[in-house]
Amino acid sequence: MGTSESTTAGRTIRARAAGLTDQPLTLFTVAVFWMWLVVRWTNDFLLDGALIERNTSFFPTAPFEAAAAALGGLAASLGPVGFPVGWVAGFFEFLAASIPYLPPLATGVWATILLTVLGIALGFVIAVPLSVARVYGGSATRSVALGYTELFRGTPLLAQLFVLYFATPLTTVIRELPTVGTGFIPAQAFWVAVIAFMLNSAAYQSEYIRSALNSVPEGQLTAARSIGLSKVDGIRHVVLPQGLRYAIPGWSNELVYLIKYSSLASFITVRELFERTDAIASETYRYTELFVLAGLLYLALVISASLLMEYVEQRVAIPGLGTTGR
Amino acid sequence: MTDPLLELDDVYKSYGEEQVLSGVSFEMDAGDVDVVIGPSGSGKSTMLRCVNRLTEINDGDIYLDGDCVTDPDTDVNELRKQVGMVFQDFNLFAHLTALGNVTLGLRKVRGMDKEAARERGYEHLEQVGLLDQADSYPAELSGGQKQRVGIARALAMDPKLLLFDEPTSALDPELVGEVVEVMRDLAAEGITMLVVSHEMGFARSAASDIIFLDDGRIVEHGPPKQLFENPQAARTGEFLSRLETTHEGE
Repeated sequence: MGTSESTTAGRTIRARAAGLTDQPLTLFTVAVFWMWLVVRWTNDFLLDGALIERNTSFFPTAPFEAAAAALGGLAASLGPVGFPVGWVAGFFEFLAASIPYLPPLATGVWATILLTVLGIALGFVIAVPLSVARVYGGSATRSVALGYTELFRGTPLLAQLFVLYFATPLTTVIRELPTVGTGFIPAQAFWVAVIAFMLNSAAYQSEYIRSALNSVPEGQLTAARSIGLSKVDGIRHVVLPQGLRYAIPGWSNELVYLIKYSSLASFITVRELFERTDAIASETYRYTELFVLAGLLYLALVISASLLMEYVEQRVAIPGLGTTGR
Repeated sequence: MTDPLLELDDVYKSYGEEQVLSGVSFEMDAGDVDVVIGPSGSGKSTMLRCVNRLTEINDGDIYLDGDCVTDPDTDVNELRKQVGMVFQDFNLFAHLTALGNVTLGLRKVRGMDKEAARERGYEHLEQVGLLDQADSYPAELSGGQKQRVGIARALAMDPKLLLFDEPTSALDPELVGEVVEVMRDLAAEGITMLVVSHEMGFARSAASDIIFLDDGRIVEHGPPKQLFENPQAARTGEFLSRLETTHEGE
């Protein structure tokens, strides 16, 4: 990998701008983050605390506290020029104070990931026909699709969550479903949030896909039709496979947004990362540490998502066309 | 006398105020190669697109092998299976390999299974001399290679008639030859072709008839010998001599 031009099997791969996948440190950090998450979840959810008691961190705080104290002493003894050492001491203090909260936050991260993945995936299923309707539909279907998009893009996501949670019978209906709220299956508020994210994200995703479909040359569908494919089949076998590829960079943006917007689910009591952070902070009054920590966890999730999408984009790139900057 | 393979009967087409075809009529028999020439904007491409109904005509009739294709009840997808088309700017499916381009119609339109379609696909790529490029994507091919894949794609559907819409005009001059050569081979094999092109070499040697279209009307229609050596209409001669001078420098 890299930015040089390489030739494999007689096929020239166009040089591509350096991305996240080219940075070993990023890859390493993300790998450590996910290893921690997976071990934590396995221990807490699957093994019932077999490795280490639930809510007990894998990492001891004592060494960080000791380091913070030692560096703090050094900074004081250095006098006015000791402030950089003081900052490092502060960083160790932050680590020591944050470590005990990592286990409950990891549980929140699980809910955040589940919310985002379900919301974006179900939204995608709606977004594809929605965008096709916008580009290729008759005037009636186009208006319906446009109306949907404008409604869900034009009103606040929080308002949509509240309406679905408080003003529709959805909450009661889901609560009555078997297995909801038992074992691994989250309670009703979670599912209401998934539905809200699905509906909302579909509107945004359809806009990204729509503009990508518009960038597929008209001649592609003409050629598809000239060999006897119906319009629907031509869209399915020729236009969409190309359009969806071109949509990846924009679509990744929506994924990144949804990871962070999923925090709004805390307003309807979903116990995701933001809700957990807020709840623990109001008990412990360690607002700074907790929200900095939550911010870092969101950042790690976003970088993971960007990495994944960068990888997908490279994997499905059409040889000879280059992956970006078409 | 058998029915002509293709018959245009008094075809009219306009885009809004602009009259593009004004009463075009001609016939061609199976195995014929007709070359349509004429100044730009004379309606050549529109006429071609009317035959497989990529464009709908306003008046008149078009018959393919005795069936009226302009009947509103005609299944356009059925019609297009029988009429292949080769485009000026190739329009190869960008996300598919050369083989994928040739086999898509076989699989999704003809319903062939993957293996059978592959075999047929290889045959047609061999026919245009591109067997070694079967796994290349369009963006990795030269213009001439792209157009040959385009021809193989159209041929694979086993059409009764092949339409060529200026197949060489988007090509660099040195790549024209390989495409013309393939077209010449097809003509020799007896494939019925309606070709919009100003490749005079091809027209002279391979065409059964030349159709000179100007301003939406057929000005002259006859064998190449007659048109080139003894044009009946003054405009035909004028157009041809202009064409000769522009092509002389190449």
